[in-house]
Amino acid sequence: MTALAVDERQVKRRVGSGVALRVLGRLGSAVLVLFAAASATFFAQALLPGDRATLLLNQRTGQTEARSDEELAPIRAEYGFDDPILLQYADYLGGLLSGRLGVSYQMHQPVEALIAEQIPSTLLLTVTALAVAWVLTVIWTVATTRRSARIDAIGSGVETVAAGLPPYWLGVILLVVFALGLGWFPVIGGSEAARLVLPALTLGIPLAGFMGQATRAAFERALDEPFVTSARMRGMSDLGVRVWHVLRHAALPGITLSGWALGSLISGAVIVETIFARPGIGRVLVSAVNSRDLPVVGGVVIVVALVYVVVNLVVDLAYSAVDPRLATE
Amino acid sequence: MPTPIHTPAPRDRRRGPVAMTAAAASLAIALMAGCSGPQAAVGDERVEGGTIVYGHLQEPPCIFGGWVQQAYLSRQVLDSLVSLEDDGTVVPWLATDWTVSGDQRAWTFTLRDDVTFTDGTALDAQAVSDNFEYWLDGGNGTVQAYLADYYESSRAVDATTLEVTLSAPYSPLLTVLSQGYFGIQSPTALARGNEANCEQPVGTGPFTVAGWKRGESVTFERNDDYNSAPANARHDGPAYVEGIEWRFLPDATTRYGSLVSGETDVIYDVPSIEWATAGEHFEVQRYITPGRPVALSFNTVEGPFVDERVRQAFAFASDRKAIVETVFRGAVPFEGNGSVSQGTSNYNAEVADAYPYDPDRAAELLDAAGWTATDAAGYRTKDGEALEVVIPYGAGSILTQEGSAVLQAIQQQVKEVGFKVTLIPVTQSELFGGAYSQPDERDIYVGYWTSPTAGILHINYRHHLPESPNGANSTFYNDDELLALIEGANGTTEPSEQERLFAEAQQLISDRAVAVGLYTQTTSLAVGQQLRDVWLEASQGEPVFHDAYFVQ
Repeated sequence: MTALAVDERQVKRRVGSGVALRVLGRLGSAVLVLFAAASATFFAQALLPGDRATLLLNQRTGQTEARSDEELAPIRAEYGFDDPILLQYADYLGGLLSGRLGVSYQMHQPVEALIAEQIPSTLLLTVTALAVAWVLTVIWTVATTRRSARIDAIGSGVETVAAGLPPYWLGVILLVVFALGLGWFPVIGGSEAARLVLPALTLGIPLAGFMGQATRAAFERALDEPFVTSARMRGMSDLGVRVWHVLRHAALPGITLSGWALGSLISGAVIVETIFARPGIGRVLVSAVNSRDLPVVGGVVIVVALVYVVVNLVVDLAYSAVDPRLATE
Repeated sequence: MPTPIHTPAPRDRRRGPVAMTAAAASLAIALMAGCSGPQAAVGDERVEGGTIVYGHLQEPPCIFGGWVQQAYLSRQVLDSLVSLEDDGTVVPWLATDWTVSGDQRAWTFTLRDDVTFTDGTALDAQAVSDNFEYWLDGGNGTVQAYLADYYESSRAVDATTLEVTLSAPYSPLLTVLSQGYFGIQSPTALARGNEANCEQPVGTGPFTVAGWKRGESVTFERNDDYNSAPANARHDGPAYVEGIEWRFLPDATTRYGSLVSGETDVIYDVPSIEWATAGEHFEVQRYITPGRPVALSFNTVEGPFVDERVRQAFAFASDRKAIVETVFRGAVPFEGNGSVSQGTSNYNAEVADAYPYDPDRAAELLDAAGWTATDAAGYRTKDGEALEVVIPYGAGSILTQEGSAVLQAIQQQVKEVGFKVTLIPVTQSELFGGAYSQPDERDIYVGYWTSPTAGILHINYRHHLPESPNGANSTFYNDDELLALIEGANGTTEPSEQERLFAEAQQLISDRAVAVGLYTQTTSLAVGQQLRDVWLEASQGEPVFHDAYFVQ
């Protein structure tokens, strides 16, 4: 309400410069985050117990045995495992600075190409799951918050249960009921709409439960605000009040959570990608970690960190858009 | 040889609900398969063309390589010199004929003169020689495991005559060559380098690699000029189908469910829980992998199992047969022979029953070995030390969940006799990185080794010496008598002599309880009724689609 007293253009200008500063600050911290992610991954992968050359050789032949120096020498030379670790680190960072993520030890492909091939599928899945979670959260919160003691209890009870559902279990149940039992959807996942529904629900339902809990608390607080009373006095319907006034306030915690959620969805994607046999960055990461394919692990970590940074920046801006007061503080 | 790595199932972490889920999935699939119509309306009339959708378990990093998962794929595009019949006979493929010199060191192969690689390069003796050089130069670690000790050189005598010279007689050579690792690639294509050969090896085979969407599928297209089927194929000439859509479906419920719903035509690795019902609705084929079975290989140089009597006591101390039958519900057979599995030529069946469940015998042996006292927890002790044995195992990589369950049951049962077993699940990256590969790190090694020949004994029991290490000798057992038997068998081409020597070698390993068996590494196929004549080749169960056709 205070904004009414201030000149509108002034607000916009102040919002604008606030945003610019925010973006700059974020970019600086983004670079730091990426540097830290790359370094941590490199050292974790390089210094884990076990010999990398042995792992490479065993992995290529499906064996788990000790290897002789004679067998290992060519591999060590090829990948520079004999170099001092700091030199290997410098090489790795140098490669990153020039925009190269390296070549997979196991797949012999450039990591950029591998990730570029896999990430669209994962992003499609996670963004759809996030959208599903939002739709479920909004409908459920608007419909069940502060209706009657009983509906309230059912509403928050369902949220608690949904938030606690293990994705693997949920995925298999959805698969068995809706794909195998009823035959409404194909068993094998993919990018077409019909193949995306069950994977997105598997990730979206627990997330909706989680976001619903946060949204419900904020929704209840907002229902007590004076503007709700005033809107009702103007004759607005209950649904109108909930959707047009209360929801806007109650959405803030959910928006904040969305940035975190996208990160957690990418990790949750591993399970869904396995059950529904979808391509994606999750499966690539798991097999790369299992075979300690350092360039691939590093590449995926950096790209996921990048997505995370960008999403949080967007969330920050969205937050400002929903509540302009934040940008001017 | 190599061990299929099983995708670590995310379900491991959530035992309770998952058991329920699996049961529910099984029920739903059974109901669906029972009442669904698509299976019923199939006739016997062959349909031209079509694409086979095949659901496979694991996705390897490359299409060609030294891991069995890679051989499954490369078999579709590469032909080998020879092929193996179910009864162990070697039959012609790219090689029409072969002879071996009197000293058994020079093998001469006559090649077909009318075969061309799919990139236009001609198949000749030089091309095959180039492949031998490529494999042994590091191109295929599994070929090296078989041949590095024997291969000396190869040369093209003329366009169709290849001479391979060995440093010592090696009678299993032909059998070994029938495995997918020995598929012949175009030398022109090999020169493209690792990146291209990983994604798209080029051979003379019935299909070519058309594309690979990682994480999803490999697409194979028919080679319309195919003329080089092995002698044991069911037809010559190009494949009946236009191609194969090779889907990677790591989750068992999804994979089996996709066959039931008709999204796939054939799947690999039917889940044990579905094995019985799968046979009612689909054509099922089971392949018992030859080579070393999933076995307990004792550490014979350090710890309590240095004493032969303690090894024997451990073997008598659990009902391995009953445990395997319970855990696998009949889908996988028990294998008591610890060095060579049933289904391998020259398998010694007698040693499979050498160590039945006999706790009294186990107790006597432990008494004799000086483990006479018992501590408060019930474990045997000697000089104040408990009889503790450490078993690290590749949970989710070498052993499936069921394999882990077998170990847990053994752990419980041998406790009654006084063994304290510590099971250590080891992650894939740790295990393949060499963890627990040294004698002071483990008392028992659990693992198998896919191989079509009892010559696997040479790989697993060749001496492990400082100057010539053998990491594949997982028992660290350096025994001259045993090695002489194995080398004698590898060195003779007289079948009855070979059989006798290989049988004696297995007998010796069993008598001294160097290794005892658990179960056979077993794979399976379930084929929808709309598809016929998919078969598993004999050397290591690679699925063959060249003869397959659809019916209506």
